[in-house]
Amino acid sequence: MRNAWAVCKREFASFFLTPVGYIIVGTYAAISGLGFAASFIKFCQITMAPSEFGYEGIPDFEELMLSQFLVFCGQLMLFIGPLITMRLLAEERNRGTMELLLTHPLRDRDIVFGKYLASLGIVTVLMGVVAVYLMIIGQYTEVEPAVLVFGLVTVFLMSAAFMSLGLFVSALTGSQITAAILTFALWFISYILGTFADNLPEAVSVPSQWAGALQSFALFVYGIFRQLAIELPLDGHAEQMTQGIFEPADIAYYILFISLFLFLTFRALESRKWRA
Amino acid sequence: MIEVNKLTKLYGTVAAIEDVSFEVAQGEIIGFLGPNGAGKSTTMRILTGFTPATSGSAKVAGFHVEDHPVEVKRRLGYMPENVPLYPEMLVTSFLSYVAEVKGVPRRERKKEVDRVMERSGLQGMGKRILRNLSKGYRQRVGLAQALIGNPPVLILDEPTVGLDPKQIIEIRQMIKSLAEEHTVLLSTHILPEVSMICERVIIINRGRIVAQDTMKNLTRGGDEAALEVEAGGVTETVLAVLRGVEGVEKADRIGPGRYVVEGKDGEDVREAVSAVLVSNNCHLTGLQRRARTLEDVFVSVVAADRGVES
Repeated sequence: MRNAWAVCKREFASFFLTPVGYIIVGTYAAISGLGFAASFIKFCQITMAPSEFGYEGIPDFEELMLSQFLVFCGQLMLFIGPLITMRLLAEERNRGTMELLLTHPLRDRDIVFGKYLASLGIVTVLMGVVAVYLMIIGQYTEVEPAVLVFGLVTVFLMSAAFMSLGLFVSALTGSQITAAILTFALWFISYILGTFADNLPEAVSVPSQWAGALQSFALFVYGIFRQLAIELPLDGHAEQMTQGIFEPADIAYYILFISLFLFLTFRALESRKWRA
Repeated sequence: MIEVNKLTKLYGTVAAIEDVSFEVAQGEIIGFLGPNGAGKSTTMRILTGFTPATSGSAKVAGFHVEDHPVEVKRRLGYMPENVPLYPEMLVTSFLSYVAEVKGVPRRERKKEVDRVMERSGLQGMGKRILRNLSKGYRQRVGLAQALIGNPPVLILDEPTVGLDPKQIIEIRQMIKSLAEEHTVLLSTHILPEVSMICERVIIINRGRIVAQDTMKNLTRGGDEAALEVEAGGVTETVLAVLRGVEGVEKADRIGPGRYVVEGKDGEDVREAVSAVLVSNNCHLTGLQRRARTLEDVFVSVVAADRGVES
């Protein structure tokens, strides 16, 4: 594991030896800052005249503003995340430094965990940016600090899950562009799926001339897909947690998601042994 | 230190190497010689654990490459062809990263980096960014990172490619000096390089080993009885004189004032030839045995290999 730390340090340092790291943090700070200002202003407008916006009384701050803003911070990874993860393994292949990485006394787990930890390091820097907003919220509202910290942890988990997906894609290809586009596509599809899922009815009408067994089978398959559409997207599981509601299932979801993609990254890295 | 047994690597249906077997003893410098695309790099990449072999086995420092890759990698310094580097890093930070990965304890890391930098002629280059290094210095960094941790086995893939003549001489001397403590396997397609550095040569052509022996054995034999003679005077006279010498089988002109003489049954006719030429006023200006060079060996084994196939 000491070697994983060495790989992690080198990777993390490389981010900030090139402009990439600064561009990523800067872009993230700029967009999330705009989002923060916009949602704060909107919430102030609502509290001043709730009836104009169709609310009876002042709406819940945590539900309406805090949660949505934090989920937005997580969703920002849609654009920023691929820029972080595309480098991880694809760049090593592209530059040929994979040959050094694989001929130094490193195990696969040193490489995978080292790279993953480095990406979490970047995420931690980004969370530092989010922490500033949360401190402002803590200063001017009565939201409990524990809720804010828990919200930050949720955004971190959401981003960490995203990093594992990106790392896996990066292990598949030798081109950073391919890795970035593929990661973006996977994440975007899951996001779109999530927005659809809200509108999907619980059951659909099945042609009545079908046999009974076929009807129930069709409904069963539909049910599975509907459930997948609801459960798969990364942002869906953050909504409750960002309001300070501890939901073991949501946390388990993120941990499983990360484990699955780290496992797949191991397999992708191992594939060099059987691919020509 | 290195044992390779019937190694084969297929890319699809094309064999990059086929049935390659050889051994390298401790402290030897072995030259891996072959034309471009002969399979040198493939063999080296299998030894270093970068590419898996299709069949056959390789052992380095007593460990199977496939079963104990990390044990092998701990005992092996590898300088890949073209030396891939992280362009944004400094020379020292790159080397100390390698030292950390190779398990050099934190306290000794700086000393080890200084040692390999001195060894590979990188003094004063520590604060340079790798991106800005010239080819020659990149090559040195590649060598330096291979030397970190003082591994008993060094595998160097084309260490002198792309260097200027002065750098080539420096790197060659450096490699020669490494042999005292290390077992070195180096690949090249430059013939004189092998004759200068290596004790033993493995010649590989189209994925197969076509010859492996010591430099001495490979260059022995063949035309050793032939002499190259330089002499002034009329060609016909000189030839007539040379053919008249006792024990001379054949004499031919090979250039202006240059002749080749062969003795009967490999007999040494140098004394007789020089005496006769001098006594006939033929102005003997040069006389030497025609040694077999590695070029001759290489051309003949590669040609023979081609003959067998076609």
